[in-house]
Amino acid sequence: MDEFQEILQDFLVESFELIEQLDQDLVELESNPQDLELLNRIFRVAHTIKGASSFLNFDVLTHLTHHMEDVLNKARHGDLVIDADIMDVILESIDLMKALLVIIRDSSSDGGIDVSACVSRLDKCTGGSGEVESPIVQEVPSAEKTEVEESEDDEIDYENMDADELEAEIERLLQQRQAEDRAKRAAKSSSDDTNPEEDFADEPIKPASKTPVAVTPTPKPAPIEYDSDSSDDAKAAAPAKKASTVEQTIRVDVKRLDHLMNLIGELVLAKNRLIKINDDVEERYEGEGFLEELNQVVSIVSLVTTDLQIAVMKTRMLPIGKVFNKFPRMIRDLSRELNKKIELEIFGEDTELDKSIVEEVGDPLVHIIRNSCDHGIETPQIRAGQGKNETGTIKLKAYNEGNQIVIQIDDDGKGLDVELLKKKSLEKGIITQKEAENMSDKEAFALIFKPGFSMAAKVTNVSGRGVGMDVVKTNIEKLNGIIDIDSELGVGTSMKLKIPLTLAIIQALLVGVQEEHYAIPLASVLETVRISTDEVYTVEGRSVMRLREDVLPLVHIGDIFEVERILDSSEYAYVVVLGLGTSKLGLIVDTLVGQEEIVIKSLGEFLKGIEGIAGATIRGDGGVTLIVDVVAIMDMAKHVKKSAVADSNSDSAMLTREKTKASDYTVMIVDDSKTDRMIMRKALEPLGVTLVEAGDGQEALGILKQGEYNFDAMLIDIEMPRMDGYTLATEIKKYNRYKNLPLIAVTSRTGKSDRMRGVESGMIEYITKPYSADYLSSVVQRNINFRSEFL
Amino acid sequence: MSEKLKQIISKQHKTDESINHSEDIVQLVGFIIGDEEFAVPILAIQEIIKPFPWTRVPQVPKYIVGVFNIRGAVIPLIDLRLKFGLSPKKHNEDTRFIVMRHGDDIAGFVIDRLTMAIRIKKSRIGPAPETANGDDTVIDGVGKQEDRIITILKVNKLLERDF
Repeated sequence: MDEFQEILQDFLVESFELIEQLDQDLVELESNPQDLELLNRIFRVAHTIKGASSFLNFDVLTHLTHHMEDVLNKARHGDLVIDADIMDVILESIDLMKALLVIIRDSSSDGGIDVSACVSRLDKCTGGSGEVESPIVQEVPSAEKTEVEESEDDEIDYENMDADELEAEIERLLQQRQAEDRAKRAAKSSSDDTNPEEDFADEPIKPASKTPVAVTPTPKPAPIEYDSDSSDDAKAAAPAKKASTVEQTIRVDVKRLDHLMNLIGELVLAKNRLIKINDDVEERYEGEGFLEELNQVVSIVSLVTTDLQIAVMKTRMLPIGKVFNKFPRMIRDLSRELNKKIELEIFGEDTELDKSIVEEVGDPLVHIIRNSCDHGIETPQIRAGQGKNETGTIKLKAYNEGNQIVIQIDDDGKGLDVELLKKKSLEKGIITQKEAENMSDKEAFALIFKPGFSMAAKVTNVSGRGVGMDVVKTNIEKLNGIIDIDSELGVGTSMKLKIPLTLAIIQALLVGVQEEHYAIPLASVLETVRISTDEVYTVEGRSVMRLREDVLPLVHIGDIFEVERILDSSEYAYVVVLGLGTSKLGLIVDTLVGQEEIVIKSLGEFLKGIEGIAGATIRGDGGVTLIVDVVAIMDMAKHVKKSAVADSNSDSAMLTREKTKASDYTVMIVDDSKTDRMIMRKALEPLGVTLVEAGDGQEALGILKQGEYNFDAMLIDIEMPRMDGYTLATEIKKYNRYKNLPLIAVTSRTGKSDRMRGVESGMIEYITKPYSADYLSSVVQRNINFRSEFL
Repeated sequence: MSEKLKQIISKQHKTDESINHSEDIVQLVGFIIGDEEFAVPILAIQEIIKPFPWTRVPQVPKYIVGVFNIRGAVIPLIDLRLKFGLSPKKHNEDTRFIVMRHGDDIAGFVIDRLTMAIRIKKSRIGPAPETANGDDTVIDGVGKQEDRIITILKVNKLLERDF
């Protein structure tokens, strides 16, 4: 049983692959009915599936494919010209074949679909044409007809037959087949067709392969066909081409690839971390010999990791052709249904995309193309009237653009009418009159993506429900992609889908707000600009700025993510211009940290669905950074109100609290030397002020952040490990509430440049070691406004 | 060597089991939040770690202080003081993060101080007080030791999203 399952699996995989190619080939065939190579390829598919399905006892499928094969065989021998009607029947039979295969995949049996109507139509095709071309061939269809009936009988019989009966049945069938064969040969020789007879001789045996006894003759008949046909000049080229396109492939479970991708993700994180550590080490041990070596190793590791990541990404890549393949057929059906003449041109079907994206991108494309056929391309009469070619053209292009893939759908139809779009949207209440007046063309085009919007006067089979394009937008945005529409009335519409190549690892722009960092997918970032705060205007309660020609709405990232304003905002800010299709938004951030490759991690079940957050990533330092959901932010920005000016009064009030005793004064001593701290403590203790000690800049900053004490002054050594005095002073001055905190440098550095640096970083006094205890005490007293009555 | 180890381990397993079976003992880990002692089953605890940096997450209730990275996984951090309606408190050297797991759900919880691992007979665990009964309570039961009572929490309830 297991073995059977295994064979069945292989059969299904193979069949679905074959069928995928089939649709396109058939449509091509219609416009080019004489193409022998095409015909052969199509015939072979029917033939292969028939062979395999009969071996697996799928009688209905065998029955169907057998008749398809007959029609196709006639066509490739030139006995039958394929016109649109025959093509309809063939396409119908292929749809049935697909449906049967799906049923087989789901239930391992091929019942439940009635193929008899289609089979008889297929039969008519062969019969009808036979009459017209050469009367002698008439024998063949009749012989086939009987065969049909018999094979139908067989289907029932086989279930209940024992081995002996089976043998007898095979014998009978074989004899019957040979008789038919003779008849066919007679027919062939009398017609002026010169096809080799072996071709037929090899076919009649096939029904016998329904039983295990006769498996050997033709499980894979295709190669035999080639041998027998090789005398034919037209076909000689085919085997050569086939040989050159043989690819060495293995099938791999997608789960394994997913696992591999996860591991690579971890590796990328580790690499980022390594790079960060390397930078830190470089800073600290400048000029040391081992740095060179470390640098080399780090750069090799980072290079290899990047290559590895690309390599694994490539293994997950599928050509977009997999999706494009079904469109020629779709266009054909649609054009017949809508009575329009439409031609589809496909470019760049080899462009590759991550498997998960290929799977997601199919449905949106179907909607867009249906839309183009229904609303875009006009009827032949109208087109002719406008002096256009009667046949409308839809171009489907795929190409790479940086880290994205662009899928472009162009039609040369009537284009989008901006005024009509606005009118329809107004009617349906999607926009207000005011919005309509202020709308740019691009924004008006984007109306077609609004839920509930439809241009169709009535609901048809093809479109008009006002669902499709809305779904397109959500699906594409789910992939972090964007849609761009361009259209000219009377000339056509062009839609561009820009989709990132992969979902798991993306390029991101890291931005800082106060002490927090956020990652913005780089695909949505159009540009970044530095502005001074007076370039921000307020219009109707919302911040905006001028960006070249446009007015850009602004929102502060801190307002969206409820960030507490602790740090003083400087007079400059950075604006990250986010673009999503036609809408733009300027996101104000405090700092731009840089571009980094990040691995997207989910926030898990507990925190899923937080508005504005798409996920999280782990940074080089092991910390977690949240990833901004650009789509959601665009939406949130509409509701966010400008936050009140940072409430700094309460902080300063705390600082200037009334002092009632000496210990109300608090002074921090920052020095890495315990002895020095002790000396300062000894000098200040007589005052009775509260003293807090820190061993270096970071510790001091930590104490400040905790906010447990309200410091009145700080004594800071310059030379310290981890964070020196200058850096500490600069950091402290960033905080609103410590802006006026007196910082006193206590150092043995006496150079003039040192003093200058001290002043630059915000120190107000500079005491050089050694100093007298009295001097230190007096400087401190002066700076904290120490009241003499406490002494 | 490894054989010997295995034997020892399996022996320990057996003795453990026999104790559990014979006396129906529950193993808990106790911790303090505010003035009260709570406990959760030891098997629900993945690890207990000292506090380390986390990242704030916007648009969530105050008691969810953020997310942090534990060996490559991003997990939420919940302050039990705030969740239980107490005032916030600065982390000190007794503060710990307890990482609890129930099925696929995982989260870290900030607690004030660990007490000890507790072995307690099932018979000494009473039901939750009536005021806190029902499906919504996070209280699983109340364990009675000689001189104190310990509130035992439902890990699955703690890990349930309630906003």
